[in-house]
Amino acid sequence: MLKGVTIGQFFPGDSLIHRLDPRTKLLATIALIAIVFVSQGFAGFLLIAAFVLACCASTGIHLKFLFRGLKPILFIVLFTFALNLFFQSGTTVLLQLGPVKITAEGLRMASFMAVRLILLVVSSQLLTLTTSPIALTDGLESLFRPLEVVKFPAHEIAMMMSIALRFIPTLMDEADKIMKAQKARGADFETGNLLQRAKAMVPLLVPLFVGAFRRAEELALAMDARCYRGGAGRTRMHQLRFKGIDALAALAVLALLAAVIALNAFHVW
Amino acid sequence: MPIEVKNLVHVYMPGTPFEAHALKGVSLAVRDGEFVGIIGHTGSGKSTLISHLNGLEKSEPGAVFVNGMDLGDKGADLIAVRRAVGLVFQYPEYQLFEETVAKDVAFGPSNLKLPAEEIERRVSEAILRVGLDPSVSDKSPFELSGGQKRRVAIAGVLAMQPSILILDEPAAGLDPAGRREMLSLIRNIHDSGTTVVMVSHSMDDVGRCCDRLFVLNRGEIAFSGTPAEVFLHDEALHGMGLDVPECAKLANRLRREGFDIPEGLFREEEVCAAILNHLGKGGKQPC
Ligand SMILES: Nc1ncnc2c1ncn2[C@@H]1O[C@H](COP(=O)(O)OP(=O)(O)OP(=O)(O)O)[C@@H](O)[C@H]1O
Ligand SMILES: [Mg+2]
Repeated sequence: MLKGVTIGQFFPGDSLIHRLDPRTKLLATIALIAIVFVSQGFAGFLLIAAFVLACCASTGIHLKFLFRGLKPILFIVLFTFALNLFFQSGTTVLLQLGPVKITAEGLRMASFMAVRLILLVVSSQLLTLTTSPIALTDGLESLFRPLEVVKFPAHEIAMMMSIALRFIPTLMDEADKIMKAQKARGADFETGNLLQRAKAMVPLLVPLFVGAFRRAEELALAMDARCYRGGAGRTRMHQLRFKGIDALAALAVLALLAAVIALNAFHVW
Repeated sequence: MPIEVKNLVHVYMPGTPFEAHALKGVSLAVRDGEFVGIIGHTGSGKSTLISHLNGLEKSEPGAVFVNGMDLGDKGADLIAVRRAVGLVFQYPEYQLFEETVAKDVAFGPSNLKLPAEEIERRVSEAILRVGLDPSVSDKSPFELSGGQKRRVAIAGVLAMQPSILILDEPAAGLDPAGRREMLSLIRNIHDSGTTVVMVSHSMDDVGRCCDRLFVLNRGEIAFSGTPAEVFLHDEALHGMGLDVPECAKLANRLRREGFDIPEGLFREEEVCAAILNHLGKGGKQPC
């Protein structure tokens, strides 16, 4: 039941994209998201989709994992689609059923929004599939480091994030175990109305929280015992360095941006 | 036959790079009133195997039978199965959640929708049975020591009055005294007529308690039989990261060196007697 969650699900590998500097991947993902917003037509989307799919194929990760992240937002996509389909005003009526009419403009807008949403999710999925959570927070820390002059706690935030990410799988495992143990005592998590189900979660949540606090305390002690005292003056084992492939990746993203802008300029649908 | 497992296969996260074949065709049977031990190194699939035994993991039809019920069947009555098979997980002390010990122990019986008096009766009986003082009933389970918490968790399963009790590493992480008490507690439960399956790392523990052993290695049954039969394979077991009791090792070693020691001895007293016997001094002297 808890196995379907892929948020932050990292697939270890040794492809070109896996080896990119996490900062490059973070910036490229932000750029990719911007490009999705820049594109004003389906040709641009097609190009972006081709780019993302090619990237994914080059990592050796099965394409289906790229789309698995869509499951939680499927409802939003359908909702946006329906909303645009029925409420977008237009002149070319395709279908009329009483007060409800579907216009060509509406259909175009609805598909445009839906595809845009899907592309946004899929392109950010590429980042989390190919970057380990630790590398990701390292990258974030390093990107936010300049803000430390205005007292932005970049290191502390990065540390909190990496600890949180580190413990997500542990907590999920633990939730799974506790759930099994309570089921073995006859607990029922699956049937009943909303209130009954909420109440059924108590035997799961109490031990889970107690465990989480115990772990947090232990971790704090262990960090103290090894002289952790914040980011000031801390050196790191893995130094982040930009390499040739990072420049290559930047070029590829820039080329994509240029192509999408060109497609916009020529008004290709 | 209370439990019958036929060619059970379990794969975690199939189709991903994290795919793990935890069980690769395991078959075993547990007879009425038996005390069965399951041993294996870390990751050999013991916990996976026992979660199949009360339908917590899905199995193929025809793979797991409890009291003749096919657990892989879509219409299998899982409530009836969980009533018959009590499962005590590894480190069960982390599943406690209620305000008081008594309420926590009552969780299982109340899920069975029993009448209130019956629940109350079962709760106080279970608390006594695991050797806890009745005065802990009104304490918070989080105030107790680790060993006491584990007893509360076991009481929570006993209160469902299962005819088969399965325990995953019940003695893990306890000090030697706690360990002995835990084992004698489980033996008492067995003596009062419950079929018991105990998972363990420790050959000493299973040797002392069990009628029959199954040795799990990388998701397959490597050996099965009485402790005496299994302990004959000390070298093969060593290769699987398991150890036989020291006395069995000594007896096997001496036999290989040409001493006249009968097969299948592993208790300290028996081995002692056999060695003295061989040395022609009779079995009387203390060793
Ligand atoms: N939830 C899970 N997801 C993926 N793989 C798992 C999961 N649980 C167990 N495994 C894998 O299945 C195999 C068997 O695990 P299992 O927990 O049954 O071993 P075990 O014999 O109980 O070990 P231990 O003595 O450490 O308790 C291991 O290789 C483990 O990595
Ligand atoms: Mg286990």
